[in-house]
Amino acid sequence: MSRKILFEDIDEPGLNTLSVYERRGGYQSLRKALGMSRAEVLDQIKQSGIRGRGGAGFRMGLKVSFLPEGTMAKYLVCNADESEPGTFKDRELMQKSPHMLIEGIAISAYAGGIDRAFIFIRGEYQHQAEILDAAIAEARAAGYIGERILGSDFSFSLVLHRGAGAYICGEETGLLDALEGKRGNPRLKPPFPAIEGLYAGPTLINNVETLSTVPHIIRMGAAEYASIGTETSTGTKLISISGDVKRPGNYEIELGIPSREIIYGLAGGPPSGLPVKFWFPGGSSSPVLTGEDLDLAYDFDTLAKAGSMLGSGAIIVADESRRVLDTMLKLVKFYAHESCGKCVPCREGTNWTHKMVQRIFAGEATPMDLDIMGSVQEQIMGNCLCVLGDAMAMPVSSMIRKFRPELEADIEAARERAAARDLAAAAELRPLAETESLAVH
Amino acid sequence: MPRPERKTIQLTIDGREVQAIEGTMLVDAAKQADVEIPYFCYEPKLGNPVGACRMCLVEIEGIPKLQTSCSTPVKDGMVVHTRTERVRHAQNAVVEFLLVNHPLDCPVCDKGGECPLQDITFGWGLGHSRVIEPKRHFVKPLALSPLVAIDRERCILCYRCVRFSQEISEDYQLIFTERGSHAFVATHDGHPYVAPFSGNIVELCPVGALTAQPYRFRARPWDIEGGAGVCTLCPSQCNVTFTVRDEKVMRVLARDNEGVDDGWLCDKGRFAYQAIHVDERITRPLVRDAGVLRPTSWERALEAAAGLARHRGRVGTIVGGQASNEEGLLLARLSREALGSSDIDSRGMAGSGEAGAPIPADLARVLAAPALQASVPDIEFAHTVLLLGCDPRDDAPILDLRIRKGVRRHGVRLAIATARPTALEANAKLGVRCEPGGEGRLAAALAQAIDGTVDAGAPAEIAELAQLLRDGGEDVVILYGERIGAEGAAALVRIARALRLAERDGAGLICLPAGANGRGLREAGAVPDAGPGHGELDGPAGRGCAEIAEAAATGEITALHLFGTDPVRELPDRALWRRAMRSAALVVAHASVLTEGLAEHATVVFPAESHAEKDGTVVHPDGRLQRLRIAIAHPGEVRPGWAVLAELARRCGLETGVRHAVDAFEQLVAAVPVYEGLTLEEIGGGGVRWPERPQASALAPGEPTTTGGEAPSGDGRAPDAAAASNGALRLGTYRPLWAAPECEISPSLKFLVPRQRLELSPADARRLGIDDGAEVVVAQNGTRLNATAVVRTGVQEGSAFLAQGLAADSANELTEPTIEVSAR
Repeated sequence: MSRKILFEDIDEPGLNTLSVYERRGGYQSLRKALGMSRAEVLDQIKQSGIRGRGGAGFRMGLKVSFLPEGTMAKYLVCNADESEPGTFKDRELMQKSPHMLIEGIAISAYAGGIDRAFIFIRGEYQHQAEILDAAIAEARAAGYIGERILGSDFSFSLVLHRGAGAYICGEETGLLDALEGKRGNPRLKPPFPAIEGLYAGPTLINNVETLSTVPHIIRMGAAEYASIGTETSTGTKLISISGDVKRPGNYEIELGIPSREIIYGLAGGPPSGLPVKFWFPGGSSSPVLTGEDLDLAYDFDTLAKAGSMLGSGAIIVADESRRVLDTMLKLVKFYAHESCGKCVPCREGTNWTHKMVQRIFAGEATPMDLDIMGSVQEQIMGNCLCVLGDAMAMPVSSMIRKFRPELEADIEAARERAAARDLAAAAELRPLAETESLAVH
Repeated sequence: MPRPERKTIQLTIDGREVQAIEGTMLVDAAKQADVEIPYFCYEPKLGNPVGACRMCLVEIEGIPKLQTSCSTPVKDGMVVHTRTERVRHAQNAVVEFLLVNHPLDCPVCDKGGECPLQDITFGWGLGHSRVIEPKRHFVKPLALSPLVAIDRERCILCYRCVRFSQEISEDYQLIFTERGSHAFVATHDGHPYVAPFSGNIVELCPVGALTAQPYRFRARPWDIEGGAGVCTLCPSQCNVTFTVRDEKVMRVLARDNEGVDDGWLCDKGRFAYQAIHVDERITRPLVRDAGVLRPTSWERALEAAAGLARHRGRVGTIVGGQASNEEGLLLARLSREALGSSDIDSRGMAGSGEAGAPIPADLARVLAAPALQASVPDIEFAHTVLLLGCDPRDDAPILDLRIRKGVRRHGVRLAIATARPTALEANAKLGVRCEPGGEGRLAAALAQAIDGTVDAGAPAEIAELAQLLRDGGEDVVILYGERIGAEGAAALVRIARALRLAERDGAGLICLPAGANGRGLREAGAVPDAGPGHGELDGPAGRGCAEIAEAAATGEITALHLFGTDPVRELPDRALWRRAMRSAALVVAHASVLTEGLAEHATVVFPAESHAEKDGTVVHPDGRLQRLRIAIAHPGEVRPGWAVLAELARRCGLETGVRHAVDAFEQLVAAVPVYEGLTLEEIGGGGVRWPERPQASALAPGEPTTTGGEAPSGDGRAPDAAAASNGALRLGTYRPLWAAPECEISPSLKFLVPRQRLELSPADARRLGIDDGAEVVVAQNGTRLNATAVVRTGVQEGSAFLAQGLAADSANELTEPTIEVSAR
């Protein structure tokens, strides 16, 4: 059920220090990789079939191979902005095993012919940033970062950059702008970062978990890694599970196991004993699934086929005691707040949706507003500059589609409450004629 | 970098086969094929598309998602659909979203009637709204600056103004702040947006969020007319459209001409139209009567002015830079044919003050050779651009933007060789400083370094500059100011020859003259040492500005004819000019406003036309003849300049044969060989560059007869900058963009009229104990000026700079090369 690769040693005390990490076999993969040719290392990454763990699930090997050959400055950027609600796996990785990430970055940089790397870490991760900084200093002192690493021809530098707290800076091009010192707004694609990224140079951007997996791929060999999981979703995945479960937290699973095993087996299911009403399989941006979907295999393709997505691997569970409307408000408020404001459908669509949901709470909406809300989500989807707009529109429209009767009932109930409130307020008023202050002098 | 090659490809838009240049954005290719795709944020002038508004989404076969046509370059065989249900749905969506927060106050909005948001809402919107939520609110309107008001509720956040500030004018003042639907356009810390090109954001704004303060609530689009014209307030000669209501200019808009202005205007060109309709404007002839200038009839004024004929041989004529070619020709004819004097000059500031001798006719002729003339677009695609003794920001502001564009988008390498640091320092690859007035010597040293007459010994920075020009790519464009003088001009001839500038289409020279039509007036023969078309004079050369002043002060010249200029205000050595004008028995002036010299000394003042009233032609510094057309009726009793001059000539005994503006143009074409066969139709709305016409060969390059003096000794930087004794500083001068009577009388530009500033180096400031911003006194031979000290890092130690052309405390008061500075 649980297969540990990344988390094998995760609770080893002092793993964040170089000595413990090395004692547990750390940096052997880097040594092994540097003994191979660049093409061989790249081939290993490709053969492993590993898909990006940040949300989009794009094949890492393919991404590296998009980098143009040549002598121009190329960059590797590790996306450690982990800002998707419900996701907290990268935090544990960086906090407990920072050297695994550094080693992964070094191997990936070698594979991509890159000599400058950055880690863009979200501003709130102060503790993790301090740990990473210390680890980078240790790795540099030990010669794993810097000139002619381990006596090879490979040199690379690594800089940790702390973000200032914006969801949009987790979007790869928004991250690049922020890293360049600009306002963190997404860029138009194409050009894709692999062609024109940081400082207009070819740039490889990957998530913390993806890069941390690379040393294991080199250690195990691509074939063995690819034998884990399913054919198109190889390897293991870190799952952050939260919400109505007995044992929330991070778990490492083999891709392709039934979702029920994660929610009930590992996390223990809802503590109330009530059935699962709906759950987000891959972070707050993924369309919600219901209790009927619990037997879906947890892998990229199965979840996509079911109309949702694996995303960042963050499962949020809500049991039957929860109102869909409450979750919707939280969700919509978050995305309206985090929209950067650059493109119209996202800026106005998230804002408009937020106001409509607020209006439901105020008892001023009718079930017809659900039609408008659904249509607004359709108007957002696919029309935005980046995926932030879709990240709100997809779950919201899935909620409207799957829970319409409940939402309509809640709307009517809110209207009745508001009407009763108005009636009570009216009863407090005295007739106009009795109001002395209005008398004409 | 040289212009890219253009390859034509074929694509299908809405079922139609369309040809387009490869790399063109789809939205433009569609427009060329008469398919309109709506958009807000796209504006090719602003550089790379941002794809923010999402209005231009289209369907492209083979790509699953809708694509923004503003950012998709066309490819051969592309199949595009702009009218499918999916596209229509997306367009409806974007319009509906844009109106979520837009106040829809069209009836009271200045933009109403000429508003892209209005048009696109009608054309591509659903026609009704489902939004009942409250809209966002801001305090409005706010003054973004005294020139521009901002209404943030109307703003659709298209990024155009911010991109202009960040990527075109590079003043980096406008920013986006906050995010999501709370985002708004602002400046850092709410500081006013004051920059030389700020007005362009009003024209860029696709809604009524940015409005020009002087135009707010003055007119509606349905009661105005547009009159095409040319701004003649500086040599950039930007193409403009005058917005006219009831024979009054209400605003000035850019009339995009890629060959001239790229569709931008400076704030002076955009807002100084107010000077046309102010009380200070002279609209009736004035004659001095018992010591006082009084309004009078044209008959009496002309009769008084005809008194010039009694001073035959002793008349000096000064022609202001805004005069048209035709006026220049008529003035030259009047002076030479009727008044027997070659003492006529239109070069103004150039070649006077610290710069030394003006560029003589033979060198001017060589430098004007058609093959040597670079065009404005050449600046953008050159390998290297050199600024020699000029600062486009002050001398021809719109070229400053062109250079920035070249550097930013096409990798142009910019080199600067000036005494005063320019506004483009940050964009330059290389900069060489010389002492004030040393541009000519600097050019000479550069010439030696380039043509190899000196192998070694040149200072490293000059050698480096020479190497950049020689080896940095063949297409070199040199922009030079007339202040380089005779020595600099002679050196420039050598540089041009050594770099083979004449052999490359994309290489050449552009002279930034002191007067707006300096080039045209020289070609019309309004200079003392050449006839029309750089032709030889029958007699000896006449006097230039400085000599005319001397001669008038000593009584050798007894009458002055001042066309559109007040020498006391405009030219160096005010004391001398005051003496000259006091001594002259007759001073005939043509002016639209009474500045100091005219108010005190003019005998006759004819009301002059503004550039919105004039009919005639002017010549751009790159040789483009452009046509001024009448946009508004002449106010009061103002008469056309050509008509006044023709009548004056007649009364002085010269029948010019000019009875209509066209007659004057035809005489000009007949007099200037390179204009041969030119018609007003050929000039048209966009102008025509004469160096590109076959008749240009009439100007044979020839050999210069003057060499520009002895070859310089030493390193080309002599005399030693620190040589001035007792801590005195070497004085350099410049003419700020805003130092003009037009700005002083335009209500909305008054705040920009500069007070005197003394620019000095940090080292000198430390030595003299002067802080940045301190009030100082500048003294020289008993003349004292007040100024505010500005410490600039680019200023060479030992040099200091003061502005010319100010009403008070102007550098024109000073005559000596050095100044003493003390704290006030």
